[in-house]
Amino acid sequence: MVENPIKIEEKLALTKYVTDKNFAHITINEEICKTKCKTYDCVYGCPAECYKLVEDGDVPVTFDYAPCVECGTCRLVCPHGSVDWHYPHGGFGVEFKMS
Amino acid sequence: MTVEYDFDVIIVGAGLAGSSAALTLAKEGKEVAIIERGQYPGAKNVSGGALYGPVLNKIVPNYWEEDAIERYLTTKKITLLSEKRAMTIDIDLQDFAEPPYNGVTVIRPKFDRWLAQKAEEAGAFILDNTVAEDFIWKDNQIIGIESGEDELKAKLTIIAEGAVTLLAEKAKLAKKPSPSHYAVGMKETYELKKEIIEERFHLNGNEGISNEFLGYTHGIPGGGFFYTNKETLSFGLILNMKKLIQKKIRAIDAFEDFKKHPYIQKLLKDAKMVEYSAHAIPEGGYKHMPKLYGNGVMIAGDAAGMVLNAGLYIEGMNFALESGRLAGLAAKEALTTNDYSAEGTKIYLKLLRDSFVLQDLKRFKRAAKFLERERIFNVYPELLNSLMYQLLHNTGEPRKRIVPTAIKHFLKKGKLFKLMGDAFAALRSI
Ligand SMILES: Cc1cc2nc3c(=O)[nH]c(=O)nc-3n(C[C@H](O)[C@H](O)[C@H](O)COP(=O)(O)OP(=O)(O)OC[C@H]3O[C@@H](n4cnc5c(N)ncnc54)[C@H](O)[C@@H]3O)c2cc1C
Ligand code: SF4
Ligand code: SF4
Repeated sequence: MVENPIKIEEKLALTKYVTDKNFAHITINEEICKTKCKTYDCVYGCPAECYKLVEDGDVPVTFDYAPCVECGTCRLVCPHGSVDWHYPHGGFGVEFKMS
Repeated sequence: MTVEYDFDVIIVGAGLAGSSAALTLAKEGKEVAIIERGQYPGAKNVSGGALYGPVLNKIVPNYWEEDAIERYLTTKKITLLSEKRAMTIDIDLQDFAEPPYNGVTVIRPKFDRWLAQKAEEAGAFILDNTVAEDFIWKDNQIIGIESGEDELKAKLTIIAEGAVTLLAEKAKLAKKPSPSHYAVGMKETYELKKEIIEERFHLNGNEGISNEFLGYTHGIPGGGFFYTNKETLSFGLILNMKKLIQKKIRAIDAFEDFKKHPYIQKLLKDAKMVEYSAHAIPEGGYKHMPKLYGNGVMIAGDAAGMVLNAGLYIEGMNFALESGRLAGLAAKEALTTNDYSAEGTKIYLKLLRDSFVLQDLKRFKRAAKFLERERIFNVYPELLNSLMYQLLHNTGEPRKRIVPTAIKHFLKKGKLFKLMGDAFAALRSI
């Protein structure tokens, strides 16, 4: 049987990345997240759990670009323009083999 | 002052649209370069993997003689899922077992690489590991692209960047899309022995099956897919972005919940997951496409919103291949007349209108709106499955007649009129 539910970290561990330690290709504006956001759409949309809700945190969400699969979802779902979205530099980022 | 061009045409993106355009132009002897940000063509690309054979055959004749595809599709299944229940329509068409094959399955990192290589063999330059970041403009005309410090100039640029439309927006042809018109697609690839795949799904040799699913998505418009490859299985779920965030269910959780269905579990039994991937998909259809051409520029494939969401399946690869080919032909025309302005690239629109690309997208233009009705994704699969349950369930009591039971069932659930309304809307839109 398929293990179930399998954690997203375990899934992403199967995916190959060439992580650019010197360049965060996506960044969020924490000030906007803190003052404007009530819906945290990025958390629901992201298929790689790069955005995580923090209970009682100073900033309501945390963001990590390393597991990003460059899908483009957060750029569209964030209603406040907090997401500054770029591609990783050429040759960096996710590298699919079987998709 | 005249511009010194490095190429006749620069294409951004070595996906299906880009490589198809490059192949078309290179065969015509044009100087063409593809800029690809990935480690190699296909390394960034995701799809369910079902592609129409005749469309591919137009671009690479007798493609089946090479090692490009996985399996040809002879069995199609459509399954309605609800709690503990599943109802499947199972169609076996042996007519589709002959080249050029009606449908085939592909693995994108492998397939895209193969197609890009075809373009390269025909004379195209492929610059991978390179991100096209912006355009070079001259008098309101795009004359090339910038990547870091580097500049590459061309008479024409074809944007084939896929679903994330950064450059189409910079070219002032597209606006940033709304999440209502986009979906997020997640995919898992599984390894399973060839013999087991063939036995489990009743396949002879290189035959394959496609199985699409409706329902069991927490009512979020979208659906699941399952395709067989040679020695792997492609399984995934596609969900409308807007409805997903409104429901406040994480995409990754909706996917895991979907996978728990016993029907899905049986499909994936003993298979080992080997990769996870995800990508955005435009699904607004005909009504939400950007402007397709401009001064020195054309847009093809997903970047142009050329995806058909017919409810049960997503079609985009066929449109990408064909629109890429037509953009290539249009570029050739514009190069012949030496008119690289929007007047010269306009012919692209005519070619698209004459082809299945715009005709099919137009024919299905109401589908996107229709498919926003949530009950299609939660109420109906449950309604039909519970009817089947009523009809088949033995209680040890005398049995009821089928038709009155069905009518009573729909009336009791208060769905008959809505159902008829939706059936009518479906006829008009799908
Ligand atoms: C989960 C899922 C399942 C799907 N299932 C199917 C299916 O079964 N059948 C079907 O027909 N369609 C399916 N689709 C849709 C299909 O994948 C797309 O329609 C198709 O990939 C579009 O091809 P394209 O060439 O337009 O774009 P892409 O394949 O996305 O190619 C774009 C290319 O451009 C490159 N690129 C982008 N920006 C830059 C830049 N600035 N500089 C350099 N390079 C750049 C990318 O790396 C990429 O290689 C599915 C999609 C998903 C996500
Ligand atoms: S949706 Fe946008 S504004 Fe809200 S938390 Fe996420 S990134 Fe910040
Ligand atoms: S691009 Fe996709 S995977 Fe990357 S952070 Fe945004 S939503 Fe997550």
